[in-house]
Amino acid sequence: MGELALLITLFAPFLGSIALLFIPNREPLQVRGVAAGSAGVTLLAALYVFLAYDPEQGGFQFITKWSWSEELGIAFHLGVDGIGAPLVFASAILLFAGIFISWHIKDRTKEFYIFLLILAAATIGVFMSLDLFFLYFFYEMSVLPMYVLLGVWGSHTKGYLSMTDSEGRKLRDSVGFILNFGANSKEYAAMKLTLFLSAGAVLALMGILLIYHFSPVHTFDILVLREVADFDGTLATIIWLLVFFGFASIAPIWPLHSWSPVGHAAAPAATSMLHAGVLMKLGHFSIIRVAYEILPETTQQLMPIAAILCVFSILYGGFVAYFAKDTKYVIGYSSSSHMGYVFLGMAALNYISLTGAVIYMFAHALATGMLFAMAGWVYDQTHTRDIPSLGGLVQKMPFLAGAFIIACMASVGMPGTVNFIAEIMIIVGAWEKYPFQVIVAVLGIVLTMAYLFKMMRGLFYGRLSAEYAHVSDARNWVDRMPLLIMIGCSIFFGIFPMHFYNVVRSTVVPMLDRINQVSPVLTQQTTGLFP
Amino acid sequence: MTFDLTLSGSDLLLLAPEMFLTIWLCVVLAVDCTRRTINHETLAYLSVGGVVVTLVTLIWFDYAEIHGALFKDTFVLDGVAIFFKIFVLMATALVLLCSVDYVRSFKFFRGEYYCLIMMSALGMMFMASAQDLLSVFVTLEFSTFGFYVLVAYLRDNQKSSEAGLKFFILGVFTAGLLAYGISLVYGETGTLVFSEMTATPGSYGLAIGYIMIFAALGFKIGAVPFHSWIPDTYQGAPTPVTAFLSIAPKGAAMAILIRMFYVALATFKPTWVLLFVVASIASMTYGNVVAIAQKNIKRLLAYSGIAQIGNVMIGLAAGTKRGSDAILFYLLTYLFANLGAFAVVIGVSNLIKSDEIEDYNGLNRRSPFLAAAMLLFLLSLAGVPPLAGFIGKLYIFVAAIEQELYTLLIVGLINIVISMYYYLVVVKKMYINEPADPSPLSVSTPLKTAVFVGMAGTLLLGVYPQPFINWAVDATLMFSNVVAPTAAVPTLPSPIGG
Repeated sequence: MGELALLITLFAPFLGSIALLFIPNREPLQVRGVAAGSAGVTLLAALYVFLAYDPEQGGFQFITKWSWSEELGIAFHLGVDGIGAPLVFASAILLFAGIFISWHIKDRTKEFYIFLLILAAATIGVFMSLDLFFLYFFYEMSVLPMYVLLGVWGSHTKGYLSMTDSEGRKLRDSVGFILNFGANSKEYAAMKLTLFLSAGAVLALMGILLIYHFSPVHTFDILVLREVADFDGTLATIIWLLVFFGFASIAPIWPLHSWSPVGHAAAPAATSMLHAGVLMKLGHFSIIRVAYEILPETTQQLMPIAAILCVFSILYGGFVAYFAKDTKYVIGYSSSSHMGYVFLGMAALNYISLTGAVIYMFAHALATGMLFAMAGWVYDQTHTRDIPSLGGLVQKMPFLAGAFIIACMASVGMPGTVNFIAEIMIIVGAWEKYPFQVIVAVLGIVLTMAYLFKMMRGLFYGRLSAEYAHVSDARNWVDRMPLLIMIGCSIFFGIFPMHFYNVVRSTVVPMLDRINQVSPVLTQQTTGLFP
Repeated sequence: MTFDLTLSGSDLLLLAPEMFLTIWLCVVLAVDCTRRTINHETLAYLSVGGVVVTLVTLIWFDYAEIHGALFKDTFVLDGVAIFFKIFVLMATALVLLCSVDYVRSFKFFRGEYYCLIMMSALGMMFMASAQDLLSVFVTLEFSTFGFYVLVAYLRDNQKSSEAGLKFFILGVFTAGLLAYGISLVYGETGTLVFSEMTATPGSYGLAIGYIMIFAALGFKIGAVPFHSWIPDTYQGAPTPVTAFLSIAPKGAAMAILIRMFYVALATFKPTWVLLFVVASIASMTYGNVVAIAQKNIKRLLAYSGIAQIGNVMIGLAAGTKRGSDAILFYLLTYLFANLGAFAVVIGVSNLIKSDEIEDYNGLNRRSPFLAAAMLLFLLSLAGVPPLAGFIGKLYIFVAAIEQELYTLLIVGLINIVISMYYYLVVVKKMYINEPADPSPLSVSTPLKTAVFVGMAGTLLLGVYPQPFINWAVDATLMFSNVVAPTAAVPTLPSPIGG
């Protein structure tokens, strides 16, 4: 039953996109209906997978395995562990919400939903692949639809180069600015994103091929590799670095982040949601799946790299977000800043922090999904993302303003939302090993509060420009439901996190035991936050 | 050397596909000559029918494992030969389907066009079976003759005539090189048959002779530095001929290359691995970098083809059984994606009479079908999952890493990213840009069939490649003995071995 649910989760969006091919473009309601239907099926199946995952048993569950190519040692091997299951669930939530968020897209509706469904399905595929080949297969497959989604349905960015702070000083994103050849167009953003991520993917592929070649058994099967593979010395370091930086480019870790805010800003709302919500987590997830499972010793030695880089991610993203004037840039940079927390949680390599990191991925998916959805709504209504030219929207959009406050609270990590649980676990867990980084992370929370409330004030309070007198709130259920679902999940798991926590912990504990066996000094901290 | 030309019934069976196609070619020609009023479309379907019958026969040969050699081993029918014959015939059938509308623009000789295509196909079928240098020469020239005429088929078009002339002069030049190389090799070894050369000691004469032969075959496959004819010829030739030229001769020449290097030169492997590493790196990098600057879709596909053949040569550089499997599989994926892309180009140029990339603006609005198909084919060429090209590239890379050819692998991987740029530029024009003239475009049935076959192949090979991989593995079984197994092969010094 669980196996079936897993397959349904993966294939329902694919089948939905195939079904869409046969529906004429002039029937937008049918198109949306089919897309929503397949996403709904996925959501239910993913929910089932998440609930049916047995934390007592732990490990990989709902395993399906079919031989795909014996010649190359590839099997179509699916299954989830306590890290994959919540992320599959998060992808399904965001896909379902994204379908409704983009309900009003009029231009080539059918193609939009086809690409969106493929994107989401490929993302889900990564989270349940137990074969390196299919992990890469779905990973690369999720990158390409982004190109078309951004390019066709995205929006140009105005004034990125002339971003100014409150005193009128020009603000430049150093890396992003240098590589941004004076172009603010969505085409540029799409191309940059695709090439950047493909380059990262190719690095990772090199690492995967090296793993394949040097393991005693020529196979791509992760479950076999983690038992038999035994890499050490220079080779292990090279593979680890290739895998880490290859996958971290999508995460995105500083200094490989410059594609991400540009890409987020150009993308249509539903794509930004999926992109910031789950696509970026592919990076962390793949690092955990490949580096943590197959190269535990090297991970133990080299993970401090992530601990160093995450400081830059957190501060850099936070400060740029504070000064950015474009709603989507604020959220985009806040995402790359928040991904630093996940890296911190991963780098500390103890039960609490890694569990926190995984929960944070889920929590951030919901919070950032909400923010992007609402930024998208504001953009659709006002056709601008420039914060200074907006203001007073609360008069026209009371519901949205309320939801926005909740989303900001969630993003900041207010108690009562699942973000709080995740943040506190990362901070508590990482304190012993990386006290400096934890101080930075706490500072980052303050920064988050500053820029999110600044943006909220800029958008919703102050004087309403006459230009925007016609804007309307999210009134009917189609527009409200996706926001309510995300808010509901965020609060529900914030108040009842136990199943979630147990699921994640059941996988994190044995994984870290393998990693830390090398130097048992670090495995002292066995007491959980929740006994 | 005396030829024993007595053929028994079972020997004739081995030649049956070629004989049938020869007869069929004459039938088409006779029908065209005797009934001048006949619709050229009927001739096209007649030709396709003949090719398909031959194709089915060969598939049956493969299934029934009908193998053998004729004429003192100069003509062999083995797994590789059958594979490449099927490959050439599939290309021929698809090109004939794509031609139906295009041929309307010819003022004369519509019937001869189909016959010439089939004649070239016949030559390439023999190429796939060529087992000694004499038959290599004869079959290579036989297949090229048809192309000389076909490339210059648009008689009143200056570009086509120019393309024909360039192709002819360089083609004849390489024929001279080939003949000279063969004479040198014969002088050194005293034999022309590949399998009898294995024990020959190395000498400068032999090396020069083989480099000349490689140059002639490199001209056929369009590897750097023998590629200079490709862009102009591709641009000037009638598009279906370009499509044919871009795939079938490459496959047939690759069959000869594999045989020559795996069988005749197996003992010199460390030397020729270096040759292929250099040629492969040069082809991939040059093809991909220059493709970025192209404004014409046919030139873009020409340069992309140079890069793709660089990828194929990674398999030869590996020089193992796995390498030859990967080449076969890669060529199969390339067949569908490349011919599919050309089919779309033909469809567009039939309707808007232009091959400029600029005119692909907003193709998605004008013909969603053509745009989606092109997207699929270009992404497959770029090597994006779940399409065939990805599996092909991965297979080639696996073959390379087993021989620890790291430099080659890194260059190959970087080239994936470079190539993605120019393929995506075309995608951008089709999907993102708005069309200058938004009138919808309609596609004719035969062309649609060809595009559908390409799409089906591209998807099937990407999602379920196992039967095709098995086919490639079985076809090259004979090389598992010829080339020494991985462990026994002497490893190369550091520049390549990393």
